[in-house]
This record gives sequence, structure tokens and C-alpha cells, in this order.
Amino acid sequence: MSDPAKLQLLTRSPDESGFDIFEIDSNQAYSGFKPQRLPETEWELMRQPLGADGTRHFVLKNLRKDRYLLLSADEHFLWEHFDGRNSLDEIARAFHLEFGAFDYSLIRQFLTKLYHARLIEDHQARVPERDFVTPQTRSRTHLLRQVFNASRRFAVRTYKADRYCSTLYRCGGFVLFHPITLCAVAAIAMAALAAAYRLAAHSLDFARLLSAQPLLSASIILFTLLIASMLHVLVHALACKSHGRRVREMGFFLLQGVLPTFYADVTDIFMSNRRARLMVDLAGPMVEVLFGSLAMLTAYLSSPGIDQALLFGIGILLWESALINLYPFSFLELDGYNILADLMAMPMLRKQALALTPHLPRRLRNIRSIQRAEIIQIGYLTLCLVSVLVYLGLHLDAISALLPFEWR
Amino acid sequence: MPILTEFLHNVSLLQDLDTAALSTLGALLVSKKASAGAVIFRESDDSDALYLVETGEVVISKHIEGPVDVVLTTFRGGDFFGEMGLFDAAPRSATAQTKVDSILWRLDRKAFLHILSDHPDIAAKICYRLVAVFIERLRSTNEQAREAIRWGLEATGYSPMANRALFDRKST
Repeated sequence: MSDPAKLQLLTRSPDESGFDIFEIDSNQAYSGFKPQRLPETEWELMRQPLGADGTRHFVLKNLRKDRYLLLSADEHFLWEHFDGRNSLDEIARAFHLEFGAFDYSLIRQFLTKLYHARLIEDHQARVPERDFVTPQTRSRTHLLRQVFNASRRFAVRTYKADRYCSTLYRCGGFVLFHPITLCAVAAIAMAALAAAYRLAAHSLDFARLLSAQPLLSASIILFTLLIASMLHVLVHALACKSHGRRVREMGFFLLQGVLPTFYADVTDIFMSNRRARLMVDLAGPMVEVLFGSLAMLTAYLSSPGIDQALLFGIGILLWESALINLYPFSFLELDGYNILADLMAMPMLRKQALALTPHLPRRLRNIRSIQRAEIIQIGYLTLCLVSVLVYLGLHLDAISALLPFEWR
Repeated sequence: MPILTEFLHNVSLLQDLDTAALSTLGALLVSKKASAGAVIFRESDDSDALYLVETGEVVISKHIEGPVDVVLTTFRGGDFFGEMGLFDAAPRSATAQTKVDSILWRLDRKAFLHILSDHPDIAAKICYRLVAVFIERLRSTNEQAREAIRWGLEATGYSPMANRALFDRKST
């Protein structure tokens, strides 16, 4: 690390008869720096519930730039003091008195986060633009890699999502969130469960019918899943609107460059309460539950044949999709995970758990020093691992069918 | 005059000149004694001369705000400053002020134009040395600009290595 940069300043006496020269290094200027947050009309702060690990978070929104920051209790303390009247030196002392310890890097990192979210006044520093220079090679693998990377980057998005969703919500979307609608969906789902129970006896016949026409079956089922996924995301967005919150963007991308995925950015729901967030999370899977149930009921009313088999298959897959979405322990940030993270008030649970993984052997060797948050993260990792293994075990037949060799 | 010639031999700008040329030049120089704190010229003054420092120290600074200037450089015996005034009538870009009692020698633009017309060989040697000094000072200015920017970045606590992730929730 190089020495702090130095600046020589010449300061004249009031009568200009003489002058003094001071050498100021940047550390000195840094400690005298008085961070000034934006005026209160330009940001919104939402206190989150106390987490299962005993910590509390806050979500800070820049109303002008529509950016969000998740603040820890420490960072919230700093934010409260960034009023333009306290120097970093004074803030550091106050912090030490409040929490009993202080590290300047905490301020440095937090200031950087605030600069990126444009929540601090008069900051000239900008994020350096990166130029990615890729060597021009003609190898086939390089071409494949380029195609793969391009597909990973492929994304379609609209920043007018809020306007579209507001219109849709006003033009009837609000009906979806009426208690009567929920009761109706529950009633349809119950009836569909009963229908599925009766149709289950014919499931082998359905499987034979579907495997007889694999291309038709796969195309229709995939198309239906894609439509359901799109509606799922739309209902998330409408649920966000039902709480008067903004949908920042909606779009489509290829997850890992392969899996078509729709998404809606509903970060603004963090500025509402936990109940609102749970409703947004639950609203999406209700689409699969409803359409799966309708497919199942239609299958029950249909005469035997490929149509009935397709409807039964679609119903089962949509229900499974709803279950996967609502199951929190899958290593993925699906709706169920969001609900879990919200109920535990640990919005970074998955990221923290994954970050802990490489250090797990070392932490487990010193088991007495493991903290409450780490116990929760280890629990999450274990349940995810077990769940994935169980899921793979339950689908062994399907997996073995995909293998090019006989494995048993 | 021999004492002046001896001093001129030590001036970096004039190191390519022989004794005769230095005598010719010395006849055109005007001596100036300045006590500590004296302003030789101020930023935005008319510029019409170059100064050679025989003894003492001269601080070159640029105004920032109020009574505060940023120090650009300090010249000592054998150095010279204000060379832009020989070629350019634009206002001075910085202030020169003595730090201690100093003896300076002033070369007016008129005198320099006289050398250019009557002694082109002397003028060519001076100009050649001036270009070398310009280049060196330009490098130094670039370094100073880099240091000033680094100072600013460090002072604000800016760090591109710090955690930049913002917070969001995308429902899929």
C-alpha cells in the first residue's frame, strides 16, 4: 500500500504580509470529511423485523435514482450520523461509544455503497467503466464459448413495467387479490385434488399415451409451463402494485444461458411491511396452483385419450412447479426461499450461507465459537443438500431414462 | 559582472552558453532583491519576463479559495521561472512569492526579442534548453495531477474494491 497522497497548501495571513505552507495527507482530510446524505425528501428508510440471528436490517431507497441498499445496524448508525455536521473522526468516536469497537474500513465500504446508490451529496468519484477486450481467436471452442456467453447475456426487459402493471391493476387486476378470489382458488384446488386422486389410477395409461407422441406432448407441456411462468411473474408484479409499490422492471432472460426465465423486479416491496412481502411471494405460485387445478378438473371431465393425458400431465407439472417454487431449501432464491428469509428476517441468508461454505470445516473444528447466525446458515445449507438429494432420489427413474447407458 | 557570469553558468537554462554569450545575456538582465513574502507576480498579472533565482526560495502557487493556494513547486538558486512570459502575453497562470530573502534576475520579453534578432545562435541554445525544461515540467505536472486525484479519492474514502452490490429482489 502506498503512502497517503499529500497536498501542499499555502495559506496567506489576513494582511497578506506572509504565508504558511501546510502539507496535508489524505488521511487527515478523510477524518475531517463530513458526509452529507441527500435531503430527507429524496430517500426512504424501512426498518425490517428483528432477525432470527438477533440482528436487524434496514432498507434504504434512493427515491430519485430508484436504488436500494440493505443496511446492517452498524451501517444504519452511520447513516443517521451522515448529516453533514459530523466529521468521520467524530462519527468514529460516536460509533466506538455505541458499539464498543470501530474499524475505519466499515465507513469506507459504506460510503462506497452510498456513492454507488447516489445517496451522498457532492460526490465526484465515479465507478470506473471497464473495457472488456477479448482476444480474437478462430477456435471452435472459443466460438462455442462466445455463443454460450452471448446466450447468458441475452435479456429482454422493460423499464415501463410499472406503468403497464398499474394500468393492468386498475383494469381488473385488483380482483385477483380479493379474499373471494383466494377462496375460489382454494375451492377449485380442493376439487382438483379429489379429481387427481380418482385419475391417479390411470396414470400409467396417461404415461403410455404421452410417450407415444413425445414431440407433441413435450411441446405442449413446455409451452404451457412457459405461459404459466410468464403469468406467475405478472401476478407477482400485480401483487406489488396492490400494495402501492413500484415495479422497477420486468423481463426475460436465459438462466445459465439455457433455461427461459421471466422475472419482475419487486424490490420496492421492501418499503412495505412483512405481510405485504409474503403476499407478493405467495401470489406467484397461486397461478400454477390455479391453472394446474383447472387442467386437472378438465382432465377429469374429458373422455379418455391423448387430451386427457396431456391435461393430467400439465396439471401435475404445474402443481409440482408450485411446490418447487414454494419449497425454500433448494439453493435457489425462489418464492419459498423469499418467504423463509422474510420470516427469519435474514434477507441475505442464502448468500451468507454460501459464503460460509468454504470456511465450514474450519468453523466446525472450533464449534464453541460458532455464532447463532452461522448455526442458522449451516441448518439452511444442510436442509438444501438433503432436499436436493431426496429430489434426485425420487426422480431416479427419469434421470436414468436420460442417461445413454444402463446404470443398474 | 564576473560574479554574475559565474552564477549564470549554474543556471540550468543557460548551461549550453559559453562565457561570451553569458556576458551578452548578463548585460540584458536586471537585478531584483526581494524580501521574504514578497510577491514577484500574481496569478492573472500581465506576463512579460522570466526570472532567474540567484539565492533564496520562490514558491509558485495557484489560488484555490479565500487565502488558500495550492503549492505547485518551489524554486531555489540556479532555477528559473516565469518562462511563459517570454513567449506568451496571456496573464500569469500562477503566483510567485519568495519564501525567504532572495536575489532574482529578470529577463524582459523585449530583451529576449533583442537576443532572438541579434544573437540567433544564443537564442537557439536557450530555446532548445527551454523545450527540454518544458517537457520535464509537463511530466511533473502530470504526476502532480495524478497525485491530486489520488488525494481526492483517498480523502473521500472512495474504493473501487469495496462491496458495490446494491440490494434487490427479483421474483421469478
